[in-house]
Amino acid sequence: MKPLFIAGLALLLLFTMTIAMVLGAVSIGWKNVLTILYDALPFSQPIPGAVIAPVYQDILLQIRVPRVLLSAAVGSSLAVAGAVFQGLFRNPMADPYVIGISSGAALGAVIAMLGGFRLAVGGFGAIPLFAFLGGIVTIMLVYSMARVGRAVPVMTLLLAGIAISAFLSALVSLLTYFAGERLHQVIFWLMGGLGGATWRQVKIMIPYALVGYICVSLFSRELNALLLGEETAKHLGVDTEKVKKILMIGASLLVAAAVSTSGIIGFVGLVVPHFIRLVAGPDHRFLLPASALLGGSLLIATDTLARVIIAPSELPVGIITALIGAPMFIYLLKKRKKLRYFGGGG
Amino acid sequence: MGLEIDVHGLKLSYDTQPVLDGTEFKVERGELVALLGANGAGKSTLLRCISRILQPTGGHILLNGRELQQFGSREAARLMAVVPQETAADFDFTVEDIIMMGRYPYLGRFQKEGQTDQEIVRRSMEMTGVSHLAERSIATLSGGEKQRVIIARAVCQQPEVLLLDEPTANLDIGYQSMLLELAARLNREHGVTVIAAIHDINLAVHHFNRFILLSGGRVLVAGRAEEVITAENIQKSYGVPASTYRHPLNGVLQVSVVRGRSPSDGLNEGPPVHVICGGEEALPVLEMLIQAGSRLSIGPVSAQDSGCRFAHFHSLPVIVVPPFTNMNGAHKREHMEMLQQAEYVIIPPIQFGEGNLPILETVEMILEEGKAVYIIGLAGIETRDYSGGKAAEALQRLVEHGAMVLESAEGLASLFCVRGEKENGA
Repeated sequence: MKPLFIAGLALLLLFTMTIAMVLGAVSIGWKNVLTILYDALPFSQPIPGAVIAPVYQDILLQIRVPRVLLSAAVGSSLAVAGAVFQGLFRNPMADPYVIGISSGAALGAVIAMLGGFRLAVGGFGAIPLFAFLGGIVTIMLVYSMARVGRAVPVMTLLLAGIAISAFLSALVSLLTYFAGERLHQVIFWLMGGLGGATWRQVKIMIPYALVGYICVSLFSRELNALLLGEETAKHLGVDTEKVKKILMIGASLLVAAAVSTSGIIGFVGLVVPHFIRLVAGPDHRFLLPASALLGGSLLIATDTLARVIIAPSELPVGIITALIGAPMFIYLLKKRKKLRYFGGGG
Repeated sequence: MGLEIDVHGLKLSYDTQPVLDGTEFKVERGELVALLGANGAGKSTLLRCISRILQPTGGHILLNGRELQQFGSREAARLMAVVPQETAADFDFTVEDIIMMGRYPYLGRFQKEGQTDQEIVRRSMEMTGVSHLAERSIATLSGGEKQRVIIARAVCQQPEVLLLDEPTANLDIGYQSMLLELAARLNREHGVTVIAAIHDINLAVHHFNRFILLSGGRVLVAGRAEEVITAENIQKSYGVPASTYRHPLNGVLQVSVVRGRSPSDGLNEGPPVHVICGGEEALPVLEMLIQAGSRLSIGPVSAQDSGCRFAHFHSLPVIVVPPFTNMNGAHKREHMEMLQQAEYVIIPPIQFGEGNLPILETVEMILEEGKAVYIIGLAGIETRDYSGGKAAEALQRLVEHGAMVLESAEGLASLFCVRGEKENGA
């Protein structure tokens, strides 16, 4: 049953990827898309008789393919991080941004934009670099503030996160207020989006996503135990302080990488894990891979909508994720009546 | 099998309030120990130190002679399982999933649960009687079922020590016994050392054989029930007057809080009342009168009689006749004097036989002197008359000579309720 479900989600991801490559402001045609993709594979023989305009090849290989891959990586990362934070905090309201990574990243990005920094490290521009650092520094700050003696209770962590998050958001608002002619750039970044995705971004994003994912998925069993409460997890032999730290690091890497490449995209990280739990239960050994696959598909699908709905202009993808995600989620809630899989009571 | 636990000078404070203050005791391997003590005596804190949730600020806990802090998390979990008072279970794990988590300390990071683990889970479910719930979601179970599942998970951990922290606090009496019996079975059949913090002393006495009574973060006394559960110890630890007695069915020591009397209660202000005793039926009458503030005296009872215990507990004047003997002349004279000092004489619905018939004769004499005599519940006298009708006749004579008959003991309340009048008047 469960392997089948995973296989189904993998197929769904492949399917949305293909659709997303076919659709766009410039119509390439699905046959041409497949041909170009086939030709681009290493060691493939050119298909005789197929002549495709080079501009199509460029649009597909240099614009759509990296964008689809980046969407997949960002969507997966957000969904997995959401699942981890929800489990860690035993709180269904938790999302990838709950303990302030997004505010920290936003502050970093806004500083980079307003400061007009031009530095670039390894081809990484100043904005994503500052955003990444902002997110990571925030998490470290929250973690050290929540420390009580040798332990870091999750409730304190959550509260410290909310407090710091509120503080940093205020700073971001303050800077935005004085943004002047850069206002549009700031607002646009804060809304989040995948426009202008490049192969370089994909190449940087994917290793972070992979490391983060491996980090958290190795501790799925511990996450299950933590869902029963920290004390119970300890009684079962989980070294909770160590595990919490590893999970935090893993999830923070995922979120920081996602935010720094695409800004703050809401809803994917909140809704996708809930969706999987409603259908298949709370076991993280299944929840994490399933969330990764569904999160990737969802973000590709919404991003595709965002760029075709008023083509040739684009809507910020965060608007679409919320517009589609919220009603879908409410429908599921109503259909299942009870949220007993997670804190909803009987 | 089983582990030896040595707790040595344990100290722990919440803020500046010491909760454990040099707690010291030793539990031998394979013992079945109940931790008793008032709220705040340190029972839970002590257990949470042993289960490594709290870190004591001083002292040592040794498992088989080795410092507890030196054990790794998983190593400790292979030796020790915990059943808390309540487990959060508001998510959709199945019962089997929950119990399988007990195998966590045995599984490597990349190891999947194997045949052996499945088998241990199956056996744990059988032992605790939750096999039929295996596929159910934990969130849909009742409190009692849930607690049995948690025990099953503890069993699945194959521990040497089982710690239970007030595991029965939210259960009905049926589940309470069942749960403690399960713990006792683990102790008997698998030699597991069991330490349980229990609120209900009377429940604990039925299932455990060693007791540690805590008071103010220290061990007040430890040992067998007879050594630990005494009125004096209960008073010291719980701060309430208590009385111990044997369970009528199995003779197990039981304890009960008694409403003590204090000089300000308006006692010794009521009229002097003498109650004829002999058997449990007199107790409600005695209790009601003493609450009403009457000055009681209790008439001839054997040393084992409940009326005699009542008299001793409240330090009331009582005539005690040695067991299995009849009243002699001296007793009769003594009784007569006592009756004469009383203003009222009450005859509760006790049983009569040849042994206590002479008492009624004495009452008849005093009645003729004009003393007020109340007989409670004359109806149904034939069911408690073992003197072949003589007692019934004697009571009838009393009525003819002016004794008043009350249908039930409630009638007495209005007659003697001194305190009630005072309160109404105030």
